[in-house]
Amino acid sequence: MKKYTILLLTVFFVWSCSNNSPSSPNPDDFDREAILVNWADNIIIPAFSDLSETTSQLHSSAESFTTSPTQQNLNSLRNSWENAYLAFQHVSMFEMGEAMQLRFRDNLNIYPTDTTEIKENISEGTYDLELPSLNNSQGFPALDYLIHGLGENDTEILSHYTTSSEAQNYRTYLTDLTLRIDTLTDQILNSWTSGYRDEFVNNSGNGANSSLDMMVNDYIYYYEKHLRAGKIGIPAGVFSGSPLSGHVEAYYSEGFSKALFNEALSASINFFNGTHFEGEADGQSLDDYLDYLNTMKDGADLTSIINNQFQVAMNEAQALNDNFAAQVETDNSLMLATYDELQRNVVNLKVDMLQALNINVDYVDADGD
Amino acid sequence: MKLSNILLFPILAFAIIACDNSNEPDIDPPATYEFTRNGESSVSFTGQTTRIQMAAELTSAMMDFDNSTEELLLEMYRNETATGGDADPFQNPDLNDATKNIKGKVAASTDYFASNTQLSAEIKNQFENWLSAQINEVFPNENTLAAAGQPGQIADGSSTRYVNGKGFEYNQLVGKSLIGALMADQMLNNYLSTSVLDAGTNREDNNEGTLAEGSNYTNMEHKWDEAYGYLFGNAENPADPAIGEGNGFLNTYLGRVDGDDDFAGIAQETYEAFILGRAAIEAGAYDVRDEQAQIIRENISTVIAVRAVYYLQSGKAALEQSTPDFGAAFHDLSEAYGFIYSLKFSRVPNSDSPYLSSQEIDAMLAQLEDGEGLWDVETSSLDQMSETIAAQFDFTVEEAAN
Repeated sequence: MKKYTILLLTVFFVWSCSNNSPSSPNPDDFDREAILVNWADNIIIPAFSDLSETTSQLHSSAESFTTSPTQQNLNSLRNSWENAYLAFQHVSMFEMGEAMQLRFRDNLNIYPTDTTEIKENISEGTYDLELPSLNNSQGFPALDYLIHGLGENDTEILSHYTTSSEAQNYRTYLTDLTLRIDTLTDQILNSWTSGYRDEFVNNSGNGANSSLDMMVNDYIYYYEKHLRAGKIGIPAGVFSGSPLSGHVEAYYSEGFSKALFNEALSASINFFNGTHFEGEADGQSLDDYLDYLNTMKDGADLTSIINNQFQVAMNEAQALNDNFAAQVETDNSLMLATYDELQRNVVNLKVDMLQALNINVDYVDADGD
Repeated sequence: MKLSNILLFPILAFAIIACDNSNEPDIDPPATYEFTRNGESSVSFTGQTTRIQMAAELTSAMMDFDNSTEELLLEMYRNETATGGDADPFQNPDLNDATKNIKGKVAASTDYFASNTQLSAEIKNQFENWLSAQINEVFPNENTLAAAGQPGQIADGSSTRYVNGKGFEYNQLVGKSLIGALMADQMLNNYLSTSVLDAGTNREDNNEGTLAEGSNYTNMEHKWDEAYGYLFGNAENPADPAIGEGNGFLNTYLGRVDGDDDFAGIAQETYEAFILGRAAIEAGAYDVRDEQAQIIRENISTVIAVRAVYYLQSGKAALEQSTPDFGAAFHDLSEAYGFIYSLKFSRVPNSDSPYLSSQEIDAMLAQLEDGEGLWDVETSSLDQMSETIAAQFDFTVEEAAN
């Protein structure tokens, strides 16, 4: 018996030694810094620069409108709002460093917005937009209400800024909101360009506090909570049982929610593949890391699985109404189908990819109390 | 509870039943907490359901900035006016009609407080101080950003928390401390105690089937039911409760702890102990009854301790992030404070004492409050406290934290 044991052990050792040569590469040998450099220089900073231009345009459009509240100025304000809101979809996932400190995303994009509180703030004229309790009465969703939702038609909307007894307060609130968006954006851009970029890139090790681990966690968190759940799942009633059309992004615009979703999904795909902001060039990113590690799932290449699944979700969403609220109300099954396709990649990213990259999830679902 | 103990339990129970065959009546526990006499239910714990509902209304009124006043909160706590008159502070009219109140049952167990009324009064007043402070410190600063020494609001993810100058949420201190001071204390140190179950002629009455006046239960049965009511009395179906349902009191956290793989089964075991104990009372098997009481004492104490450590550790994790998340940490540590406070009312089985002494607990709470409070608490002391608590129980900090 003993002899057999020894024999077996020997066979095992021999086998394990000889098996060494084609073994998978070590995650630690990969040049993580190359990814961080690509993310910072070709995606994050350009995306924040672009957002900063659009938010400054948004603020100046708001100023023109409040100086002269005409239909034409309202139109161009709406246009600037759309541009800035689209640009925001490219940075919403980067909630780290200064953005995390400022709680950028919560300040700019909590929806549904609290219209009662907005009206209260406007009537009273005293508000401190830095208060967390006012996060849901500012940002893009509050502006959406102020430029699309104040009346049945544009004449009614304009009257709030012209003939209403509170017209001055409305105008002030509008520009206070656009100024705050612009200021917060600049603060984050400045932080990236004056030191944080190097800190981010140099923190290229592995472990929970390394830039790559944190960024990947932020990315998946964003994809799961804000893109999959916020833009599609919550309005489709996935978590509540019945659809909530009032919970779509850009609700008052009645037609912009799909554009925002598409932009956000594209940004997520670009990030995964390291595609330069507003460019075609494909830099180092998670796809290359996975390829380097020869990561397979069910006999297929994980990078391809993820990219294919992104495409499937994108295609599924093509059929959706431009106005998600209308979609939810007329045929919610299409929203649910889109949700399901997005959900499939949560598993690929959060389970398979993280396992391959040896990264731990650093967030849990809040226990709700 | 260790796995070995869980395995031992049925064997022991079996052994006891097997041995007792000759001289003690058979115990036949039902599948759910349903007991009848003459075709009608003999189970009653309305007073406990009422108090759980009062506590729920009280903690939510603490956050009603537009309507709550100091007077209202104190009336909800006492269910009477400051001068002792009838008060109607609750939304639910049944609670206003009730003659019960929260305050009278805070730190009021026979075993711990019958001859310790000074401490009882101190604890009762502690809750009033927290209620008053919510109105006097936090309410005026509803629209102020919190900072060290400055009460106000602070973000916790997309939630807004309202804290005092040291970072504590008074509503959490009140809610989580009531789990111990009201619910666990009444359950473990009062209704499950032989001093209460066997008080007066309870045993004789129970043996002879003498019912309490105007009721369908013996006094002893009713006492046991009242213990049960503090755990499951506010469930949708109290006889067969969903584990974990409820409004943030004991059953909620029994469910949370049970959901952790390291403690899976603790809820069912506790539920079964309640059923077996009640069946044992009907059968007059008082040894079996008392063994169940010890199981419940250990399990409920463990639930409180696990949550204390859990929140200490999640608070620590939030503070140790590269960008410390003070809002999340303060929320966790406010809950931890309440659960630590509640440990004063825990009960080591087969003993007369809590798992940690009041002095040890006060020392931990003082550490949390020291200096700028949660604004400058050391994460190393959060670890120390976690270890101190876990050391008294059959679990590790690691097991509680995940």
